[in-house]
Amino acid sequence: MKKFENIPGNNPFKVPDNYFEEASRKIVTATAGSDNEIRKIGFFRRFRPYILVAASVTGFILISYTALRLLSPSRSERILSEMVADQPEASLLYELDMFSLEESAAAITFTEDNSGADASEIIDYLLSENIEISEIYEKL
Amino acid sequence: MSSLRPEENITELLRKDLNRGFRLLVEKYSSKLYWHIRRLVILHEDADDALQNTFINAWKSIDGFRSESSLYTWLYTIATNEALALINKRKKNATVPLDDLESFLASSPEGSTWFDGDEAQVKLQNAILQLPEKQRIVFNLKYFDEMKYEEMSKVLKTSEGALKASYHHAVKKIEKILGED
Repeated sequence: MKKFENIPGNNPFKVPDNYFEEASRKIVTATAGSDNEIRKIGFFRRFRPYILVAASVTGFILISYTALRLLSPSRSERILSEMVADQPEASLLYELDMFSLEESAAAITFTEDNSGADASEIIDYLLSENIEISEIYEKL
Repeated sequence: MSSLRPEENITELLRKDLNRGFRLLVEKYSSKLYWHIRRLVILHEDADDALQNTFINAWKSIDGFRSESSLYTWLYTIATNEALALINKRKKNATVPLDDLESFLASSPEGSTWFDGDEAQVKLQNAILQLPEKQRIVFNLKYFDEMKYEEMSKVLKTSEGALKASYHHAVKKIEKILGED
């Protein structure tokens, strides 16, 4: 038997009457006052992973959309290119000029009937006869 | 009828209704924690302050409480830290050291009001106050609170073997001091 185990009543400390009820009430009141602040932090902590994922997805979508807008042709350019694609024959005509016409004419193997004429002279002649440049191009 | 133990009920209630769960926690543990703190700091007003700080700190960190450790050991750890912080604060400012009970009680206006021990009890408390801080905590938790070494190990973050050795040395010292009187 240990010597101190013979000492009766091991708690010589005392507290005021109803101390524990009062202490509990004070503690609960003190913590309840800070309820909102702590709950706000708790809410953010609880949903932080979801908020981060949502922010990442939104950021990715915004960056992708901006990149697509910058790298792809504008709407007006697309409409114009579609119109041009619909009229391939007309677009060729716009590109015709006198220089290319003469080059085409020069490539022709002349027959005995026209062997003495220069290509430019033929074109000049045809134009003077009010023949359309497109028709001249087709003949050549 | 719930098959949960009382502590599991509190943990569950803390998740569902924080305010009600915490109120239950305070009602259940305030008395035990008070006596643990009181035996370390001696004065009632100090124990009262430390008890309130214990629960306020528990409240602030309730979100970080991990349910795998028990509420009981978690609260005892906070309470022990609060008591030690208060003792260190007292050491810096107090003119009377905490190694003679009657002198220490006399140094406080209400010190003697909340102590009602006989001569033998004063001798025992004086012997406990002679112990090194860690031994004093181990002795109090084992002798007065009847805490298991396994739980004490979680509270004090010390191996069970070291705690048993510490308690053994504390008992020998107390017996020696009481034998000398």
